[in-house]
Amino acid sequence: MNSGRWKKILDRMLRVRVFGAFTGLILIMLIFTILSDKFFTWDNFISIFTTSSELGIIAIGTCFLMIAGEFDLSVGSVFAVAPMLGALIANTGVPMAIAFITSMVAAGLIGLLNGIIVTEAKIPSFIATLGSMMFFRGVLLAVSGGFPIDYFGEETGFLNALGGKIFFGMRASGIWFVLATIIFSIILNQTRYGNHVFAVGGNAGTAKAVGINVKRVKIINFIIAAVLAGLAGFTMFGRFHSIDPTAGQLLELEAIASSVIGGALLTGGYGSIAGAFIGAFLIGVLRSGLILVGAPAYWYQAFIGVILVISVIFNTKIRKAVAG
Amino acid sequence: MIVNNPEKIKLIKDNLVYMEDIVVKFGKVVALNGVNFRVGKNEVVGLLGDNGAGKSTLIKSLNGYHRISAGNIYFDGKHADFTSPKDARDAGIETAYQDLALVNLMSISRNFFLGRELQRNFLFMKLLDMRRMDEIAARSLKEVGLRNIRAMHETVNFLSGGERQAIAIGRANFFGAKLLILDEPTAALSVTETEWVLRLVKEAKESGLAVILISHNAYEVFGVADRFVVLQHGENYADIKKEETNPEELIEVIAGRIKK
Repeated sequence: MNSGRWKKILDRMLRVRVFGAFTGLILIMLIFTILSDKFFTWDNFISIFTTSSELGIIAIGTCFLMIAGEFDLSVGSVFAVAPMLGALIANTGVPMAIAFITSMVAAGLIGLLNGIIVTEAKIPSFIATLGSMMFFRGVLLAVSGGFPIDYFGEETGFLNALGGKIFFGMRASGIWFVLATIIFSIILNQTRYGNHVFAVGGNAGTAKAVGINVKRVKIINFIIAAVLAGLAGFTMFGRFHSIDPTAGQLLELEAIASSVIGGALLTGGYGSIAGAFIGAFLIGVLRSGLILVGAPAYWYQAFIGVILVISVIFNTKIRKAVAG
Repeated sequence: MIVNNPEKIKLIKDNLVYMEDIVVKFGKVVALNGVNFRVGKNEVVGLLGDNGAGKSTLIKSLNGYHRISAGNIYFDGKHADFTSPKDARDAGIETAYQDLALVNLMSISRNFFLGRELQRNFLFMKLLDMRRMDEIAARSLKEVGLRNIRAMHETVNFLSGGERQAIAIGRANFFGAKLLILDEPTAALSVTETEWVLRLVKEAKESGLAVILISHNAYEVFGVADRFVVLQHGENYADIKKEETNPEELIEVIAGRIKK
């Protein structure tokens, strides 16, 4: 065999940034398909896709921010803050669309606050957003008294458009997930702004030296991460028409895990939105697959942990080979 | 800024860079204490000094990276109050930093055009014109003698030190810079790559650019520079024309053992 040609093909494959995550996903799906005959079915695919969508929409924002070199641990809290605010506003008789927009603006303001604290006070985003995660979760619990808040209104059309059933048993959240993936992939890889995001995360000093406004890029990405988290929360609200104040706990870590499984570098400057998409889907596959093969639900987190570490090892090797 | 003194007006007009009484403070630390510095049109100036002398701070205050605490900067006959490196680049100052030159994980062409990306219209969007950027970057890098150019989508992580400098110089050529600043361009380069980079500096001068070469190696810059400015502890220490000195003496000046 011509080894040079194979090397070239392998090189080209490794260059596709989602190569590692995609291979992992296929492998895991293969294993579950062998272990359970209920796994590889349309119904199960739809159910995986629905649960992945809510995590995935968050993961896209988290990944976009991670590529710019920052973390947001508050996305899990924002995931619940936005729909709860929306429910409270809509329950006073305000149209749901206005309640939604208000909540998205509020989510954006939380992102803005995170971004300003990180860039102006110059404290690590890990700490700053850990603080805002705890603060907003506390506010949620205090405001709701710990009980779920139901939406009493009649206006379900708007909520259904966000998270209701559409066709073939699929939910609207899946569409938003796919749309967000496409839009942010284009922004990241094909626009000037995306180029600046890579530069800011890759080397903030260089970015500044060529005239990129580093703070502005970071703040915008914090806003994007928070708004997408709020949107994800609303798709879940659209599914249940009720919002629990503890909703979204640990989602921030699963979102980071999704991004990392998808090839994003923890220190910034490298990653892909399609990778985060696959990462979130892979976590959904694990959750569903373990249930179908009859493993106790407790094993779910343990498996994610294993997959996370294995994927980082592989992704690091691939990155070293193609990007140095 | 109104300048009435005709002598000073002449100095500003005759030089590409004219900096006077530059003070830069970082908190309580005074990095530059009243430094004067000028670069003539089409002149190659070696900016020398020991570590911590203030060389990098001086060029970073010229190209908008640091804000100066006091003093005046004139570039190309105009008072230059660059508020960001972007202003300085737009005015024609291209800098290749020792440590901040390139983003390692980004491709060659993306680095080449970083901050000045070419765009194309697609439907209602403005997208990166990757094909044109790849073409231009490849051509420009060929002009500066970058051999074995791999694909333009290759990350700069794989490039050698000399190749990295070549990207910065090629970038200055393409964007029509008037002043090229090279920060320790030959640090950690092999002998042949050092020769190559110094040859590029000469070519840049021949094509009409002015160059500031930061270094602490008198031997290396001696061949290409027209004049040497030596800083020490954030102050002017010496300003010598090439004809008036030799490398051995220059080393003594940098070390602070001779004052000229």
